[in-house]
Amino acid sequence: MSESPSPVDHPVAEPFFQAAAEGRLVVQHCNSCDALRWPPLSGCPECRSRDTTWVEVAPAGTIWSFVVYHRAFSRSLKDQIPYTVAMVQLDEGPYLVGRLVEGKKPPKVGDRVDAEFLEVGGVSTVRWRIA
Amino acid sequence: MQGELPGQSVEEIAVDAAINAVEDSGLTFADLDGLIACKSVQGNGNDVTVGQLLGLNLPYVQSLDYGTCNFSLHLAVAAIGAGLCNTVLLTYGANARSRKFDFGRPMYGADMASAAGLVHIAGRAGLALQRHKAIYGTTDEQFGMLAVGQREWARKNPNAIFRKPLSMDDYLAEKYMVEPLRRSDVTMISDGGVAFVVTTAERAADLPTKPVYISGIAEHAGVRGEHNPENLMRPWLKDAARDIWANTGMGPADIDALYIQDPTALWTLQMLEYYGFCDLGEGGPFLAEGHTLPGGDLPLNTHGGQLSESYTWGWMHLVEAVRQLRGQAGERQLEAPETAMYLSSHGFVKAAASILSTNASVGS
Repeated sequence: MSESPSPVDHPVAEPFFQAAAEGRLVVQHCNSCDALRWPPLSGCPECRSRDTTWVEVAPAGTIWSFVVYHRAFSRSLKDQIPYTVAMVQLDEGPYLVGRLVEGKKPPKVGDRVDAEFLEVGGVSTVRWRIA
Repeated sequence: MQGELPGQSVEEIAVDAAINAVEDSGLTFADLDGLIACKSVQGNGNDVTVGQLLGLNLPYVQSLDYGTCNFSLHLAVAAIGAGLCNTVLLTYGANARSRKFDFGRPMYGADMASAAGLVHIAGRAGLALQRHKAIYGTTDEQFGMLAVGQREWARKNPNAIFRKPLSMDDYLAEKYMVEPLRRSDVTMISDGGVAFVVTTAERAADLPTKPVYISGIAEHAGVRGEHNPENLMRPWLKDAARDIWANTGMGPADIDALYIQDPTALWTLQMLEYYGFCDLGEGGPFLAEGHTLPGGDLPLNTHGGQLSESYTWGWMHLVEAVRQLRGQAGERQLEAPETAMYLSSHGFVKAAASILSTNASVGS
């Protein structure tokens, strides 16, 4: 079993983690066609421009779907099961995958969520909580 | 062949399968002029390493990626059509079970989703199923008809690995693995090897074996991946569906036996809908009606598929389609099927469809 993978060393995602450390949610923005994009890519799949900036977006969205892991697929996930992962569609369009924090009620597709910023194992990241 | 093949390389497994396939075809290795090798999940078993063990210097050799069974068949059709070769051997060998390959590792390197714990194919398939349930009202009982039905078929297949009875109650009592998916909704892992010989209809007519004809093929890619809207619903499957029906002039009612490559049962649900065997969102009620079970009007994965028969990345689906069309399927033999369809996908990026027939003049 592999350890939990992390893309934090990947330069294309670095600004995301820097912003998360400051409590801001950022995604890529194409300066050529204005498309927002996530996950990060080195260029824009809409217009093929590589002229990119990172822009802050509202840390809020809607649960597109979610799953609950009852099996750990790596050693580092063993003490975390059961855990919930949601795909959230941001109000501004892009889809983000992240942990969903347990709330009072079980999550549902379509629930509104807000981003929380926290540090796990020395890495700043984002997780979601039902609004 | 399938099951556990400890100590064997994927090349050795592929070569053993190739020897069987060439013998079955009534040809010899000297009659081959093409080789298309499909790589294992570890990236082994390419045209060079398999070709070397086979001892073949051929006019045309090529490798395709892991999980590209249907695409290998299509490449053979294209290579023959282009005059690059006439008689092509397709190979695939897998030893992921005995080598304990880690399917929880991200296929394409670390990414943001895997960092959040979205690992293993069951994660993304589970997201798509949860969405399907929420949008269309699909129930566990309806979806479970796939796992239960595949086991019913596998019980008629002496080569199937999972043959223990699986009732709906058994299924519903299973714990979730990645909720809403249970263990029986997800492929097993097994070793195995498969090979085919593909040649022209003219050449096949001279051979002692009953040939199966390729009536039509289509593909479509969705390589924008996560940058497709609603990507996990794999909307680009409907583009391959449109093309396979247009290319053949056929429709779902013409299919006597259906094969859908099924790393998870969710893939099957999506393809039943997109290829028009039922309406979009109606897969749950359609399954509940029993069409795809033994005795139903749309026999589905009559060998048991990847959920119950073996994990050979769709290659055994193609083997079973050929066996059914040749009338060699034993206890599970359908009544004189003439047309079989094989649908597959390569993860979240590619779709492929093929229609096979006992009749050379069917399709385009």
